[in-house]
Amino acid sequence: MFGRTSFLVAMFIAGLAAVAWAVYGSHLEPADFSFTNETEVQTVDPAMATGQPEMRIIQSLFEGLGRQSPTDTRFKAGAAEKWEISDDGRVYTFHLRKNAKWSNDEPVTAHDFAYSLRRLLDPQTYSRYAYEGWYLVNGKKYTLSSQLEPGDPVEVELNLAPGVPSTRRGEVLLGKLVRKTPVETKSSESAKTDDEPPKYIFDVELDGKMRRFKAADATDSVPDGVERCRQVLLDFREVGVKVIDDYTLELRLTNPTPYFLDLLAYYPMSPVNKTCVEKYGSPAWTQPQNIVTNGPFRMVARRIRDRVRLVRSDTYWDRENVKLNIVDALSVEDRTTAFNLYSTGMVDWQTVPPSEVLRELLKEKPPRNDLNPAPQLCTYYFLLNTTRPPLNDKRVRQALSMAIDRDEITRVATGAGEIPAYSLIPPSVPGYHKQECKPFDPEAARKLLAEAGFPEGQGFPRIEILYNTDQAHQAIAELVRKQWQNNLGITASLRNEEWTSYQNSIQQLDFTVARRSWVGDYQDPNTFSDMFVTGGENNNTGFASPEYDKLIVDAAKEPDRAKRMELLEKSERLLMDEQPIIPVYFYVSKNMVRPWVRGFYNTLQDTHPVQDIWIDHSVKKDDPHPNEYMEPMK
Amino acid sequence: MTWFFVRRLLGLVFTLWVVFTVSLLLMLAVPGGPYSAERNLPPELEANFKHRYRSDLPWYQQYMFELKRDLTGDLGISTRMQDYTVNQVIAQGLPISASLGIFALFFAIVLGLSAGIVSALYRGSFADFTLMSLATVGIAIPSFVVAGLAIMLFVFVIPIFPAAGWGTLRQLILPSLCLGLAYAAEIARITRTGMLDALSQDYVRTARAKGLSELMVALRHALPTAMLPVVSYLGPAVAGILTGSVVIEKIFAIPGLGWHFVQAALVRDFTLAMGLVLLYTVLLYTMNFIVDLSYGILDPRVELK
Repeated sequence: MFGRTSFLVAMFIAGLAAVAWAVYGSHLEPADFSFTNETEVQTVDPAMATGQPEMRIIQSLFEGLGRQSPTDTRFKAGAAEKWEISDDGRVYTFHLRKNAKWSNDEPVTAHDFAYSLRRLLDPQTYSRYAYEGWYLVNGKKYTLSSQLEPGDPVEVELNLAPGVPSTRRGEVLLGKLVRKTPVETKSSESAKTDDEPPKYIFDVELDGKMRRFKAADATDSVPDGVERCRQVLLDFREVGVKVIDDYTLELRLTNPTPYFLDLLAYYPMSPVNKTCVEKYGSPAWTQPQNIVTNGPFRMVARRIRDRVRLVRSDTYWDRENVKLNIVDALSVEDRTTAFNLYSTGMVDWQTVPPSEVLRELLKEKPPRNDLNPAPQLCTYYFLLNTTRPPLNDKRVRQALSMAIDRDEITRVATGAGEIPAYSLIPPSVPGYHKQECKPFDPEAARKLLAEAGFPEGQGFPRIEILYNTDQAHQAIAELVRKQWQNNLGITASLRNEEWTSYQNSIQQLDFTVARRSWVGDYQDPNTFSDMFVTGGENNNTGFASPEYDKLIVDAAKEPDRAKRMELLEKSERLLMDEQPIIPVYFYVSKNMVRPWVRGFYNTLQDTHPVQDIWIDHSVKKDDPHPNEYMEPMK
Repeated sequence: MTWFFVRRLLGLVFTLWVVFTVSLLLMLAVPGGPYSAERNLPPELEANFKHRYRSDLPWYQQYMFELKRDLTGDLGISTRMQDYTVNQVIAQGLPISASLGIFALFFAIVLGLSAGIVSALYRGSFADFTLMSLATVGIAIPSFVVAGLAIMLFVFVIPIFPAAGWGTLRQLILPSLCLGLAYAAEIARITRTGMLDALSQDYVRTARAKGLSELMVALRHALPTAMLPVVSYLGPAVAGILTGSVVIEKIFAIPGLGWHFVQAALVRDFTLAMGLVLLYTVLLYTMNFIVDLSYGILDPRVELK
């Protein structure tokens, strides 16, 4: 009987231990405000993060020269209290406030920003947002060492000693580049590396002596006479970042960039604390017990796939205006679960309710006082592979577009008041007139298709619509297939791939028609337009037009705002005529926000800084006009 | 007995190596990698990213690198959750999945065994029919349906449990019930079959002949033998239940490991996926080992060599 008794006892003890463990750690104080932050944040390192969930945390932890205004997401004074912009729009001088502090009590200085901008640009940081720094003079050249030319002043960073955190820099030698020679990569066995850019051996003059360097680890072999180094970069003093004094920073840009300030308020441009980053190394410096921040909140606890707990920082310069004390950002992947949490009162803000629920909620009478979908800077469109016949014929591309009934799609498949799209750039971008493609017209579409040699769709090959696995995308693809069948007499099939494979197929142009969406990073047409330049990384259509490229380059250089907008309008006109893409609809934001939450506004970029949010206990649950969120968007 | 241990240990090492090799090669064969993202990068930066994750190296070099590092017990930094090492992800998630799992098992075993024993003792009765029908339904209904119904019933209609989350006893009950139900159903069916088989054995007839009560016969003499198939089933089931359930963890927003099993593969988080596969292998192997040991305890006819 030994077995049975001991088994029962063991089970009982295990059960008790399980309960004890599960309940252990539940002594967390309740938060003043909690929200569902979708998926687990990938990282809280501003230079490394991408995505909305990450942004909500990072902009609560760090503060850049400016920060995003809660009402319209534009630049608002942050660590800098004053700034001047030169008449040609290329030199920005920032005066930092002297009372801004890090959570380790160090002052926030111009050196912190210079350090963080260099870090953002450094290829060893592996930032996906490095290009945000490329507006700076020589910023791009600093990141991409293949662009170095003989004669350029360079910095040679030597390899780190073993055991030193990789977040530190190796010894830096300053010199002049004399020659760069491409080296053969011996990794020819892996087929993936066909288009890999060449690696170089750099001949550098250092203190009058010639030395040869190649980026290589201690274990890599190098030719005779060549020294190993971590990397050879442009001398950072050539980049448009200059510390004038501890509290004055000058940034020089290549082109007048009217949206540059807004970029500075965007989270990748946030400063990080050098002491902390270099002491703990990556990823340890981002742990709650180590991280040093300068924003309105501190991160006091974090549990994977559970929550990030933010507590108001007592070193933040504007702490008096931060009303929330404890904030919980919950990682909830499932939208239905998030909705359950919201509707049982466990969270105050849900970012995206499930679409089938949303449809019902919008039908409620009287209308709900916690739901107010608003236009967003985001477009859903189809990519057309212009390198594949018959889509290489402009008439075919136009016909496909004119045969899609967007109204039916937004009515049947989406259902939160999305706006049918006939242009790439969403409406309500300030100062810009959107340029539309031809409207829904099956008659004209059939005619165009006949002109292209496919009367009534005869002889038209079966085309495939690619989308990433998702019910909503599938519903739209099904509708488009049906519309093409009915209006043009052509057959399409659907292909779904999980996210990473889909990404890969898009990048390799391994598709005929594919869905895609793009969120604007800043409120300017350029965040959409510059995707479609020849060979652009996010072009993904094979579309190549020298005229288009020239318009985009000219617009970037144009100092006059009105003329610049005209150039961008011309570029979109061209894009909509050539039609390498078919716009389908513009997204709307779908937040659900409790009536007593104040300081929460609908914005074009759907960003809602937590630091401006506060709770108004005087608001009643069923007040029809409870807060700013329910007002029409400005 | 010692030889039995040594052989099993060697077996574990070999199994781990095979699993590691097959999984890693499969991972390297799928398109994309940890460097894939929504916004594409200029080729030079992309090459830089590939270099970071060693995706630019030939497969055998990547294989050797991962093997060497994993052998030291360092499973690397998660390529997706860049603020954490894989060891940290497991250290945080495994206890949570495990405590949920143990709770669920507790339900499953208590419910399943009782139902199975009752069914076997009253074979052909209304109780037997009802319990076994319920068990069949329990096996057939997927856990997301059970969870959805349970939430509708116990969160919205009769609001006695919170909708989701982790950290209090009340948050633990609903998910572990939903998780345990399918296991309970399986255990009930296996117990019933095992009991019926045992009750027809000669030694049970001997026990009855000695004049023991029917309950005594069932619990003392028939049950240990009837437990054998249940224990064989429980071994792998425990390994599965301890590492968490994707569905239950997602629906109840429980910060366990289960979700990572699927997600790591989807986002090409090689390091995390490999770490989890290895963890699962060790657990599964250990549980099977314990099952074999318990055979020796439960059934005197089994000898371990």
